[in-house]
Amino acid sequence: MDLNLNRADYLQVGVTSQKTMKLLPASRYRATQKVVVGDHDGVVMCFGMKKGEAVTVFKTLPGQKIARLELGGVLNTPQEKIFIAAGSEIRGFTKRGKQFLSFETNLTESIKAMHISGSDLFLSASYIYNHYCDCKDQHYYLSGDKINDVICLPVERVLREVPVLACQDRVLRVLQGSDVMYEIEVPGPPTVLALHNGNGGDSGEDLLFGTSDGKLGLIQITTSKAIHKWEIRNEKKRGGILCIDSFDIVGDGVKDLLVGRDDGMVEVYSFDNANEPVLRFDQTLSESVTSIQGGCVGKDGYDEIVVSTYSGWVTGLTTEPIHKESGPGEELKINQEMQNKISSLRSELEHLQYKVLQEREKYQQSSQSSKAKSAVPSFSVNDKFTLNKDDASYSLILEVQTAIDNVLIQSDVPIDLLDVDKNSAVVSFSSCDSESNDNFLLATYRCQANTTRLELKIRSIEGQYGTLQAYVTPRIQPKTCQVRQYLIKPLSLHQRTHFIDHDRPMNTLTLTGQFSFAELHSWVVFCLPEVPEKPPAGECVTFYFQNTFLDTQLESTYRKGEGVFKSDNISTISILKDVLSKEATKRKINLNILYEINEVSVKHTLKLIHPKLEYQLLLAKKVQLIDALKELQVHEGNTNFLIPEYRCILEEADHLQEEYKKQPAHLERLYGMITDLFIDKFKFKGTNVKTKVPLLLEILDGYDQNALIAFFDAA
Amino acid sequence: MLLPVFTLKLRHKISPRMVAVGRYDGTHPCLAAATQAGKVFIHNPHTRSQHFSASRVFQSPLESDVSLLNINQAVSCLTAGVLNPELGYDALLVGTQTNLLAYDVYNNSDLFYREVADGANAIVLGTLGDISSPLAIIGGNCALQGFDHEGNDLFWTVTGDNVHSLALCDFDGDGKKELLVGSEDFDIRVFKEDEIVAEMTETEIITSLCPMYGSRFGYALSNGTVGVYDKTARYWRIKSKNHAMSIHAFDLNSDGVCELITGWSNGKVDARSDRTGEVIFKDNFSSAVAGVVEGDYRMDGHIQLICCSVDGEIRGYLPGTAEVRGNLMDTSVEQDLIRELSQKKQNLLLELRNYEDNAKAELSSPLNEADGHRGIIPANTKLHTALSINLGSEAQAAHAELCISTSNDTIIRAVLIFAEGIFLGESHVVHPSIHNLSSSIRIPITPPKDVPVDLHLKTFVGYRSSTQFHVFELTRQLPRFSMYALTSPDSASEPLSYVNFIIAERAQRVFMWLNQNFLLPEDTNIQNVPFQVCFTSLRNGGQLCIKIKLSGEITINTDDIDLAGDIIQSMASFFAIEDLQVEADFPVYFEELRKVLVKVDEYHSVHQKLSADMADNSNLIRSLLVRAEDARLMRDMRTMKNRYMELYDLNKDLLNGYKIRSNNHTELLGSLKAVNQAIQRAGRLRVGKPKNQVITACRDAIRSNNINTLFRIMRVGTASS
Repeated sequence: MDLNLNRADYLQVGVTSQKTMKLLPASRYRATQKVVVGDHDGVVMCFGMKKGEAVTVFKTLPGQKIARLELGGVLNTPQEKIFIAAGSEIRGFTKRGKQFLSFETNLTESIKAMHISGSDLFLSASYIYNHYCDCKDQHYYLSGDKINDVICLPVERVLREVPVLACQDRVLRVLQGSDVMYEIEVPGPPTVLALHNGNGGDSGEDLLFGTSDGKLGLIQITTSKAIHKWEIRNEKKRGGILCIDSFDIVGDGVKDLLVGRDDGMVEVYSFDNANEPVLRFDQTLSESVTSIQGGCVGKDGYDEIVVSTYSGWVTGLTTEPIHKESGPGEELKINQEMQNKISSLRSELEHLQYKVLQEREKYQQSSQSSKAKSAVPSFSVNDKFTLNKDDASYSLILEVQTAIDNVLIQSDVPIDLLDVDKNSAVVSFSSCDSESNDNFLLATYRCQANTTRLELKIRSIEGQYGTLQAYVTPRIQPKTCQVRQYLIKPLSLHQRTHFIDHDRPMNTLTLTGQFSFAELHSWVVFCLPEVPEKPPAGECVTFYFQNTFLDTQLESTYRKGEGVFKSDNISTISILKDVLSKEATKRKINLNILYEINEVSVKHTLKLIHPKLEYQLLLAKKVQLIDALKELQVHEGNTNFLIPEYRCILEEADHLQEEYKKQPAHLERLYGMITDLFIDKFKFKGTNVKTKVPLLLEILDGYDQNALIAFFDAA
Repeated sequence: MLLPVFTLKLRHKISPRMVAVGRYDGTHPCLAAATQAGKVFIHNPHTRSQHFSASRVFQSPLESDVSLLNINQAVSCLTAGVLNPELGYDALLVGTQTNLLAYDVYNNSDLFYREVADGANAIVLGTLGDISSPLAIIGGNCALQGFDHEGNDLFWTVTGDNVHSLALCDFDGDGKKELLVGSEDFDIRVFKEDEIVAEMTETEIITSLCPMYGSRFGYALSNGTVGVYDKTARYWRIKSKNHAMSIHAFDLNSDGVCELITGWSNGKVDARSDRTGEVIFKDNFSSAVAGVVEGDYRMDGHIQLICCSVDGEIRGYLPGTAEVRGNLMDTSVEQDLIRELSQKKQNLLLELRNYEDNAKAELSSPLNEADGHRGIIPANTKLHTALSINLGSEAQAAHAELCISTSNDTIIRAVLIFAEGIFLGESHVVHPSIHNLSSSIRIPITPPKDVPVDLHLKTFVGYRSSTQFHVFELTRQLPRFSMYALTSPDSASEPLSYVNFIIAERAQRVFMWLNQNFLLPEDTNIQNVPFQVCFTSLRNGGQLCIKIKLSGEITINTDDIDLAGDIIQSMASFFAIEDLQVEADFPVYFEELRKVLVKVDEYHSVHQKLSADMADNSNLIRSLLVRAEDARLMRDMRTMKNRYMELYDLNKDLLNGYKIRSNNHTELLGSLKAVNQAIQRAGRLRVGKPKNQVITACRDAIRSNNINTLFRIMRVGTASS
């Protein structure tokens, strides 16, 4: 069956956070439901739709920014009490808007995630998890990395409390009381958790997770271990997942999976006979989807997917057809409703415009006086700067509640800005005088009308570090811009992992000296991405990293006065050595640096690079041949006379070209890394081999693995 | 929602912009397009059984309804249409860098095959002005040529630079077609036969032009801009990061007015309203669009819009019926309208809140450090801009300079300048490092051409520690001749070359013109007639002197003929002069031109000699091959080997010969371009009728190979002495 959903916009509120919109339970099957939504202005709004008009049930006064909104109630009764988390406070409202609870948690950080089950309240701030029962403190846990979401398996079904934390370091932590029962590694930083089918599946133990790099998975949390059931890789390179819900929108009796992503994609997965998810529907809404839920809002009898977006739109994707087939009269009525809506909007606009004009004049007048001040209107920028594992590049996503006028990108490190197909903004690179002004990149993105979201792709070089700045100017008056800074770290292409191969030949860098644990931790944070800023608990800590481009690894273990870094890639060690000694000198700390170089590791790294390099060379060669072969094909009419290899190229032509396009400058990057490896190997020996680099490049041009290894050995 | 009525997938690549639909047999429309390896394919879905069996055309081995036409040279332009009205069917015209072929597909014969030295970058077919027979007009290196169906050269003129696009359009509404020419120097010129009636300067190379209706026409630039002109006024334009590959006018929503259909390099096709540029329809191909044409391809009496991608995918769209007018997109209009209105409302609310916040901030304590961080600045902060000339230093070449400063202690974090044509991209950014922040910034500007440019400035103003900045937006115009610095008259050694003319204008008006077009220091005051002003070019140090006598006679001394032309054209438009005859002398330039003309002759003779050599060699090859094969049959291996060795040597010679020939050809093209440009420049020194007279006279002089006359014309403007 083809799923066909039509978009209907209901209402716009302020900027919304993740998971801040819910539908109140319906009074009967397929009756219209009310929507509750909380925004950054602190307003909770509950509304229903009547004849295409949004009718407000209640609306609270502005307050602190609302981070989460959940429904709760006595177990096994309709969950229709509204709970919101704002700052460090939890507030409860009845469905009529009467406040019945105001609970100040006294947490030092503001609350980021919340789960409610009966009288149990599970909260998490950035690093702290707290469990309250009847507003009394029960359990507490301090996480090593940021907590993105918290959930608890349904108590009524598994008959025990099993809270699960989604932590930024790619781990789900399953708790028991105040202790971690076990940890589950997931393929990306998890951003959202949800119960499978809304109730934990057959066992009540099935948990869905979504990651910030767009992956989706199902895990069964048993008492002793976790069982991975399925996982959807993000093949189409879509955005990170922000919200998940289960609802039978297809109408086949099985609950489907509704997913909202931060690039505006709404997806519906249904389950096949083997209980594997299959994509059934997708639609893009051009801005982050912060909450999603299935239900019935616009018209009773028609199921729909209700979503809220970053800029506060509450939108339905409904099964109700736009143009009714019943008769021409009906259609007219719909049009009439629309017309009413439009005319009321227009009159509202006129009124506002008049008011704005007055204020504008006042503002202009104030600029005449010498005492007056002019404040910059603040606007919120939703940004995300993440490393993509697949092509070892960073993506920077900027989202503003109103249309963006232009974005200026400035960087004081050499980086490449890559083109993103989805963007319609016109990019222009400006020349920059790097010596006097520390500019290596100056580029402007002039956005087309109605662009609220901009995605950029950036390629960094390991060892070169600094800051990337984005000046975002939206199209609101008075014109202002906001600057956002992003650090390009020295080992920018490394990613946290939890397991490494200990059998590889390793080079070791040992630091000793008069420095504290926190100091060394801050240096590690400075050098490597994905390390929590707060020094972890305990005296000694170990982090594992993987180079996303070369698959080499790094192990860092440190405590007060000593740090040990092990990597199979000499360049990694070399960069660390340079950066750490520079940092220590800056703080006037005396460092003892010892390094132990393993000659075999160079050969090992070259072997790691070999298949990638060979593949790229072959690909380049094949792509070069495609056009000539196609011409031959046109000329001769068939391909029988070609050798099988060439015929194969012709058959795969499209695929090859796509692959080639996907990885621009891949070969150059590999060459660069081999050159670095070569220079670094001899740097540790105390010889400068820069003069031999042209020779190396010559060898790379006629690539042969053995010749390359021999050259490394001989030089 | 408009869906394609047919989709075809041909297994031939299609070269961008080289697609045409024609009825080559008078009834069945066929699609002709240039493909790889110097071939043109003709897709004929209607008469399957027909087979061509001649030298030029052969059946495509890949598809039964496609035949291939061998051109053996890279095709540079292609079109189809009625060239000979008596014939009753369309001819196919194929241009390459050296030739133009008019081809009768039905009879499989050449209508004519002409050598065109200036190449054919663009082609258009139709009637021009009062010339009765249809012409195939090609645009090459600075030259335009029109041929009738017999290959007679009925139209010839020159233009400013290499031609990239052509179109025929009734520009002045007199019922006759004018020729629109888009060229490499960013200009769109309108030719009424061989007289230029209008010139519009754009910001990039004009890659496509298409007539819409009446005097309206669409254009596309190589930087991704498309837009619509009505006469000399631009209606709208939009810029995309992709490139417009092909544009075409077609009434897709049946409202009686053509929309501008654009095929983009990313595979998108969109239709935009001719009035507003609003998108009314779009579709996507998987690869770049090669061409957009129209034709009744299904032969059911309805004209379809036909879009072709470079990978050979072809889609046809029928115009929407009147009921779905304005509703070709799949989302409903009302929804969009509501969304737009709500967005507007939200913006206004935000703005209102901004003012409220501002009022609150005002009530609080006086300005302090924390305010600076939040981006609060004194409300009376003003931004001053000034344009001046900087004569440069050892480290930096001379340049025009834009100075921006704030009126108090606030700092300028960054300046964005959006301007077209004077920077590498569309913008220039100045972002000082955190240590060099100050309340004023000097920005060097060096426009590469003498054109007036609007500088749209966005200045980020705040404090050192701010994370939010105020954006001051303002626009300054950079005068046309900003790269010329005023110098004192006596110090300049006056250039020998000059132009001389008389205009009836008061000195004050001339001074106004000077003030508007040059960056004069502020204290320059009006001198009494006669006066003279001298300038030095910041680009090459060349001198420029403008003298005005009491009689209204103006003399401009400069060695740069282009500059002289620019000044005269600028004056003519400022003083609204319709006709201006000029006396000019550029001894250095004319001497160079003389040398070029001599060279052209040389290249021509070398070309002939080389061609003769090649013909000789090919005879030799034939005989050698025969002899070698004879020897093989006689089993005289030794002789055979020798013969083949000779053949090998000869082949090498031929290859070398080819290299010389192609070098010679490029040189020839370069020289021809220089000659064409010289005529154009001589024309630009005059205005109105005298201008056209000069161009026509120069052309005649070159045809008759009378170099001395040519120079006389360039000097005094007429051939008769």
